[in-house]
Amino acid sequence: MIPVYVITGFLDAGKTTLLNQLLGGGKPNVQRLVLQFESGEEPLRCQDGGCETLSFPKKMLEREPRQITEDIYGCLLKNKPQEIWIEWNCVAPLSQLRELLSRRSLYRCCRVTKVIHIADAETLEGILGKTGGALPDQIADCDFAAARNASSDGAYRRIKRVLRALNPGIPVYRAEQTEEIRGRLYRKKPRPAAVFCAALAALTAVYLCTAPLFKLPQTLVNTVINVFLGTLLQAVPFLIIGVLISSAIQVFVPREAIERLFPKKLGLGMLAAVLGGFCLPVCDCASIPVFRSLVKKGVPLPAAITFMTAAPVINPVVMLSTYYAFNGSVKIVAARVGMGIFASVLTGLWFALRPSRGAVLAGGFDGAMCACGCYEADADGSTWRGKTALFLRHSQAEFFNVGKYLTVGAFAAALFQSVMTTAPLRGGTAIAASLLVMMAAAFVLSLCSSSDAVIARGFASRFPLGAVMGFLVFGPMMDVKNVIMLSGGFSKRFVGRLLCVVFTVCFLTALVFARYVTN
Amino acid sequence: MYDRKKVLNPQTLLELLCYIAFAVSLCRLTVTGQYKSYVTPKMEPYFYFTVAVMGVWAVSGLFRLFQPRHKVRAAHCLILTIPVLLLLPPHTPINTAALSVGYVGGGAFAGFSGQSGYAAYNPPLPATIIEPGIADDTPSVGVEQTAAFPGLDAEHRKITVANEDFGLWIAELYDHMETYEGYTVVMTGAVFKDPELMNANEFVPARLMMSCCVADLTPAGLLCAYDGADGLSPDSWVTVEGTLFVGQYEFEGTTYADPQISVAKITPAEAVEGYIYPIG
Repeated sequence: MIPVYVITGFLDAGKTTLLNQLLGGGKPNVQRLVLQFESGEEPLRCQDGGCETLSFPKKMLEREPRQITEDIYGCLLKNKPQEIWIEWNCVAPLSQLRELLSRRSLYRCCRVTKVIHIADAETLEGILGKTGGALPDQIADCDFAAARNASSDGAYRRIKRVLRALNPGIPVYRAEQTEEIRGRLYRKKPRPAAVFCAALAALTAVYLCTAPLFKLPQTLVNTVINVFLGTLLQAVPFLIIGVLISSAIQVFVPREAIERLFPKKLGLGMLAAVLGGFCLPVCDCASIPVFRSLVKKGVPLPAAITFMTAAPVINPVVMLSTYYAFNGSVKIVAARVGMGIFASVLTGLWFALRPSRGAVLAGGFDGAMCACGCYEADADGSTWRGKTALFLRHSQAEFFNVGKYLTVGAFAAALFQSVMTTAPLRGGTAIAASLLVMMAAAFVLSLCSSSDAVIARGFASRFPLGAVMGFLVFGPMMDVKNVIMLSGGFSKRFVGRLLCVVFTVCFLTALVFARYVTN
Repeated sequence: MYDRKKVLNPQTLLELLCYIAFAVSLCRLTVTGQYKSYVTPKMEPYFYFTVAVMGVWAVSGLFRLFQPRHKVRAAHCLILTIPVLLLLPPHTPINTAALSVGYVGGGAFAGFSGQSGYAAYNPPLPATIIEPGIADDTPSVGVEQTAAFPGLDAEHRKITVANEDFGLWIAELYDHMETYEGYTVVMTGAVFKDPELMNANEFVPARLMMSCCVADLTPAGLLCAYDGADGLSPDSWVTVEGTLFVGQYEFEGTTYADPQISVAKITPAEAVEGYIYPIG
């Protein structure tokens, strides 16, 4: 089986340069076939010794894919290369390449082994989201990436973050690190599905063997598992409701319609923002992309901020789950919604009185392109059929995406509950301290607002009501996950400022609530 | 196209299997009623909804089974496989001994302080004392006041609380403690003592009450005055017979009326399985 190495990247990202770099000092005496689906400015330099080249223009890719397959196959038979290198076209989705290579003749003799994406650190953010679905699709489907023109460490970190937003956890190298890239390229990679199954089998075996131990009544492990399962089982149905509604909005409601609803005046805008937050049952993960597009389309920043911070706290799904989690307590729901509205309007007003200096938006990176594979270029978002398929896929991706944080959060909460034995913090001065602890917990746990009420209920046995309210109000507005998502689309300065303002406002609101309403 | 090799997408296959496994596991849990060890019965319809959604997702996965991607991810499937794995062997339910460690002075928001009685020995936090109204919003335990209560023998002024009516009776006794004052009450629970909150001659024959999920289990029961309370080993199951009286219970300066039992007879009992639920 001949290994196929694919290089993807946008126009002028430096695909050919990278190819020259990698082929230049690689293994000697290796017969290679290079397939170019794009002819850039830089000429391919390896045409001498042991290297055959075939070029296919974009037109041919569209009109005569069969001819391409036959050409490649003919070349394979003639030259018997040991490696195939592909420079893929910048605007063609990778699915097209897969299609070419899955022709029986080619599938019998070659397989895509590694896909590397090369990106230009200076331009990537600017072109993402403006150049169609092929680029994010290529980034999401690569094994690792190389960054060119990352002039400073900051720029390098930034492009890493952008790339990982689309393809979580991939290694990113500097384009100059030729040896490292080559090493990574030739390294054999495990098959994730197989590794997963093996790991799962091992885990099951270990678990079943030790199960009698866990079953011993009243061990810590037994308690933690019980509490973890309880929290998770309680939260999963609500999480599903949340992702279904949010996906329906993302897919079926045109963004332009939502943006039109916002009046341009401050007061009315605030009102519309709060109402919009109420009517759009989206949790924090969904309100951030909407927030960004609102800002982009010229909705005043204060109103947009109010919307983003209010929506995850005050929408009906959150209210319903809070109602159930707190065992039908209307007062808790009312307090949560009231404080949510108050804090979000206050945050919006702060930004109206002290507008942000400098650019708020960072580059052209579209935060709506989550790492869910929903921008797969083959997804057709124009027909009902396509939209339904997109909806199903989006909801699943979002379920896994948010479920991750939920699972970790539920486990942390279970552990916290089972291990912590100290008396709860209470009393006059301690309320501020326990409020801080609760807000920090909300920030770190990054729970989805449609299920965090259940976990807050667990904390309620250890912390005073005022502190738990801080958890319920601050958590959905700002947490680790939100900050990460926000910094994908906004300047660091703005995100930092937003975090500080939201934190201060929520802290004071909850403190006042604890002092004067419950006390 | 005819000459194309169908290539399987392992990620889609894995996800599909996980949906099915999770749905089957959840379905089994719901049908057998085992889910009540983790959450309250009111979650039942939500679980069927979840199973249905998993089914739809699995079917939608079928259509994408042969749309391969180069990058295959698997780790996210743990979100579904971990609960399935954990649910495989049955778990020992939590008992009061495990909780008394974790719930010193606990008691959530006293959502039931007026109804179930755990506030008596598990005092609510200060915030809730000031806001007793929270309890008012709590849906009532769903008891028709006019209906004849199971185990009520009005003629002999005796109430025999069956294990399955434990929650019902606790709520009823809290709501109408004056009505039942002087009645003889027979009920079974695990001995729960908390030296910080109870005198040496007091204990509670308690059952664990779940208001949302296992994360909020709290012992519930009536405080019993019994001179031999010292000799009772914690968490042992007993059947208590005694006379109901309206006692006083004080916590941080606030006094509550509290139905309590003056114990006449105690007999060891079989452990009772299952939790009690305030709603549904």
